[in-house]
Amino acid sequence: MIAALKDFTDRVFGRGDAAITVPPFDGALKPNQLLEEAAVVCELEAPEDLATDGQAVFVADGARILRLDAGGPAEVAAADGTITALACLPGGGFAVALDGERVRLMGGAHDGRTWDAAGGRAFKAVNALSAAPDGGLLATDGSQARPYGQWSHDLMELGRSGRLIQLSPADGGAREIASGLAYSFGACAADGTAWVCESWRHRVVRYNGTGAGAVVVDRLPAYPSRLTPATGGGYWLTAFTARTQLIEFILREPAYRKRMMAEIDPRYWMAPSLSASTSFLEPMQGAHIKTMGILKPWAPPRSYGLVMRLSTEGLVRYSLHSRVDGTHHGVVAAVECGGALTVLSKGRRRVLRLDVADIERSLQA
Amino acid sequence: MVTATETDHSPGLQGGRGAAGTKAAAATESMGETLTRLRYRYWPDHMLGEILSKRWTETAIPVMVLIAVAFGLNQAIDGFLSPASLTAASRQAGEIGFIVLGMALVMIVGGIDLSVGSTFALTNFCALFLIHVLKWPVAAAIPITLLFGALLGAVNGILIGYLRLRAFITTLITLIVYRSIYDLLILQYSNAIAGYMPDSEAWNFIGDGDILGVPLIVLVYAAVAIFGHVFLTRLRAGWHITAIGGSRRSAYNSGIAVRRTVAMCYVTCGVLTAVAGLFFAARLATAGSDIGLGLEVTVLTAAVLGGISLGGGKGSVAKALVGTLIVLFITNGLVSLSAPGGINRMVLAGILILAAVIDIRWLKNRHRIISKVYVSPTYHALPPCPSTAPDSGTPFAQNDKLRNVSAIGLGEIEAPEDVILDRHDNLYAGSRHGDVVRFFPPNYERWEVYAHIGGQPLGMAFDRQDNLYVCIGGMGLYRITPDRKVEKATDETNRSWRSVNDDSRLRLADDLDIADDGRVFFSEATVRYEMDEWPVESVEARGNGRIICYDPNTNTTHTAVSGLKFPNGICIASDGQSILFAETFGCTVKRYWFDGPKKGQVEMVMDNLPGYPDNINLASDGNYWLAMVGMRCPALDLAWRMPGFRRRMAKRLPVDEWLFANINTGCVIKFNEKGEVLESMWDLGGQNHPMITSMREHRGHLYLGGILNNRIGRYKLSDADPNFVQYDKRWGKAS
Repeated sequence: MIAALKDFTDRVFGRGDAAITVPPFDGALKPNQLLEEAAVVCELEAPEDLATDGQAVFVADGARILRLDAGGPAEVAAADGTITALACLPGGGFAVALDGERVRLMGGAHDGRTWDAAGGRAFKAVNALSAAPDGGLLATDGSQARPYGQWSHDLMELGRSGRLIQLSPADGGAREIASGLAYSFGACAADGTAWVCESWRHRVVRYNGTGAGAVVVDRLPAYPSRLTPATGGGYWLTAFTARTQLIEFILREPAYRKRMMAEIDPRYWMAPSLSASTSFLEPMQGAHIKTMGILKPWAPPRSYGLVMRLSTEGLVRYSLHSRVDGTHHGVVAAVECGGALTVLSKGRRRVLRLDVADIERSLQA
Repeated sequence: MVTATETDHSPGLQGGRGAAGTKAAAATESMGETLTRLRYRYWPDHMLGEILSKRWTETAIPVMVLIAVAFGLNQAIDGFLSPASLTAASRQAGEIGFIVLGMALVMIVGGIDLSVGSTFALTNFCALFLIHVLKWPVAAAIPITLLFGALLGAVNGILIGYLRLRAFITTLITLIVYRSIYDLLILQYSNAIAGYMPDSEAWNFIGDGDILGVPLIVLVYAAVAIFGHVFLTRLRAGWHITAIGGSRRSAYNSGIAVRRTVAMCYVTCGVLTAVAGLFFAARLATAGSDIGLGLEVTVLTAAVLGGISLGGGKGSVAKALVGTLIVLFITNGLVSLSAPGGINRMVLAGILILAAVIDIRWLKNRHRIISKVYVSPTYHALPPCPSTAPDSGTPFAQNDKLRNVSAIGLGEIEAPEDVILDRHDNLYAGSRHGDVVRFFPPNYERWEVYAHIGGQPLGMAFDRQDNLYVCIGGMGLYRITPDRKVEKATDETNRSWRSVNDDSRLRLADDLDIADDGRVFFSEATVRYEMDEWPVESVEARGNGRIICYDPNTNTTHTAVSGLKFPNGICIASDGQSILFAETFGCTVKRYWFDGPKKGQVEMVMDNLPGYPDNINLASDGNYWLAMVGMRCPALDLAWRMPGFRRRMAKRLPVDEWLFANINTGCVIKFNEKGEVLESMWDLGGQNHPMITSMREHRGHLYLGGILNNRIGRYKLSDADPNFVQYDKRWGKAS
């Protein structure tokens, strides 16, 4: 009764869960243009994920796995479906998610091993894989309701059906560590626990073996995507787009959302987007009016590019940005290899590279 | 005057195209949506914000309370509002009313006077002492009593005004001191006062006389109140008082004699209290120990209830009067209902607390409330948008024709909403610095400020005598003579009786054209928003605009058509009897006949455009150019059908986050009078020329303006008449 009353007053006054405030990009998240100005390694057709084995960086592009060599990308393997997640296995070989519905090992000791379900439920949207030091494999299945490509449908339906799954390459086992997540997207093993990104709750959660979750970092101003380890401890956390008050508002407007989903082409929804606006059919917000030919970089970001460097405790140390007036948006993966950070801007279909030492120097200056 | 209805898309108004789309949309309209449409069509949501922004709402609310109280008590008590009862009450009301006036003055200047009750008692005693004990004549006793009141007030005034003591504590002390003096005095003199009955006609007349049935005190009160109203609202000293109450420091910095003015307010309060004391003495001739006891609470309640702010700077005589009547009705009502005295005071104190809370909360939140309720979106349904895809085969199919536009004045001119060329190929454009800038041919690199007007120039047109008429956002219609003199043509039109906002002044004159007889027809985009807020109209989507006619022959202005959804471009049609005009957020072009057999009628020319039409101008082949300032997007089209969604959005989000009409990409189309679109010209991506609000054809080129651009575009037309000059065509002259 009291909870219902509180719910009601929250809705009337816009407090609590009904609040549509978004944390500001401030402190360690203070905007810069490092990502926008980063060197472009290559442009690809349909890049989805990055992985590294410590020697080279690999990128999943459609059904192919490419190695990023000095001379350009070179194909090293091909799968029989669209790769939606990629990880390098410690003993050599790759783990890939195919069409979001299967996870398969390619090369290595258990070549060919395949999973298509865990905990009795089939995979629907496997979007990240990460090899754990103990030989296991962490996978996130973003949604039980919508396939991988329809992530914005899942957001607009307030999806809460994501899972964190542990796969065992050695014996083929599959175990649900957590379920009911608000779009799990990206996981990483850390000191015997598993960290997982919950995009629609804008946070990273830590799960130990018993299945109890603890918040590592929350109230992010962006929707987090994949997590990878960083040299010297800590992690790289990417965010595929930033939050806006209008989207937060629309998420609390069921009637509009329902009609929008029913009547409008998903490309033109008032929903987060991976790439910068290219068509006037996409919605425009007040601050997006170009004045004297300039689009304000601080306008509400329908799409955005963001990479965050987390400490071992999960605090944001610093961040790299591509702001609203830029195009390196929809960042879904970042991996560090040999002192260089390779970043995948899915929205711009580009692979970018930055020198970690350079980043830290320029941010300290 | 013609008023456009909301049903823009009814079959009767159909142009050639779009009819099928309209029927499809009508068929898909659900039951709920029909209710929404009717509710927003007939319920005037926008009036709430307009009423709240009026200053008189602060008086209107106490007046409504007064009416409710009077009505309620009249129901409960027989004869409560009978003439006899009212006459008796009015004598009492007059006495309290004078004190409330004094209190109001002190509160407006930013203070408070708690000693009014004791002052009242002392001045009452003074009058009685002079007449009953010293047996002075009335004519001498009155001025001395008033002077005595002034003296008592001056004590407060000097302490608060000159010595800068806190008003509350100072008057609390004088309350006690005056009361003690009064108690000492009545101990000594009450028997002497009671033992003598003065035999003076004049004194009796003051006590219970009337003129034509109206008690004397009411007449005196009316005279004082009228003077007080004029004083506070029209005289310099009254403005000083309000200014000091609003901000004492600013008033001081502007050179107002703050200390003296504050002191004089307390003196005046003392005098007004003495007037009340005089009338009371004449009426009852009593000097009991409870006279004026607790009066300050009654008076304060009346003032606050009337709407005189405790914070100072706000208040009026009308509010003081209304507050007085409410309090008096309540106290008299409670007495008639034989409520004990304790209850009476408790009710008053309760009302005081409530009124004070409302006063403070209202003052603090007034602007926030108004800004939240002012934007009132309405239902606005458009048929499905025609495709603009490059391969769609429609006349709107996107292309790259405007990619080769060259820029004039890049980075030198800001915000050229409209451009125009004269017979000598000079190019004129407005800028947001309030100038009309002239570029010189042939290459338009050299320019000068042709005329400085001060407001942002929007639409422009030459009349037959080479006067350049310019619509100035926020100012009205102006005219620049050939010798560069700036003259105001008009800045107001007739006030419409249905509008709460004063819509006689022009807020956003937008574009114009001139008829053969010299009459200027110009659009006013909105009567609810200022120049810089014009995109908010895309959220509201109500018919807030109008078309106005200015006749230079008679120098008169009147509204021709109202209720239009952001009327914008205007162009005289080929028959010389009608204008074509664009409704930007209605996504239509319509035609209005100002002369001829169809005079006064409005007819649809093109509806369901895929974008937001802006200026309209003549093309050399007899057709018309139309600029599209922006293009429709499905998310907003849907939101236009959901006014509740937009209202909540406007309430809860900052303007920068609102879903707006997309005005970053536009195009130019050519159409004929039948409403057929002949071609469209685009610059995909808008890199070269981001926004198009106007275009003007001249000697084989198209010149493009954009209100948020820093350039003027120039585009070579391949198949246009190389000798076309709009002025010559319009006025039948040869260059």
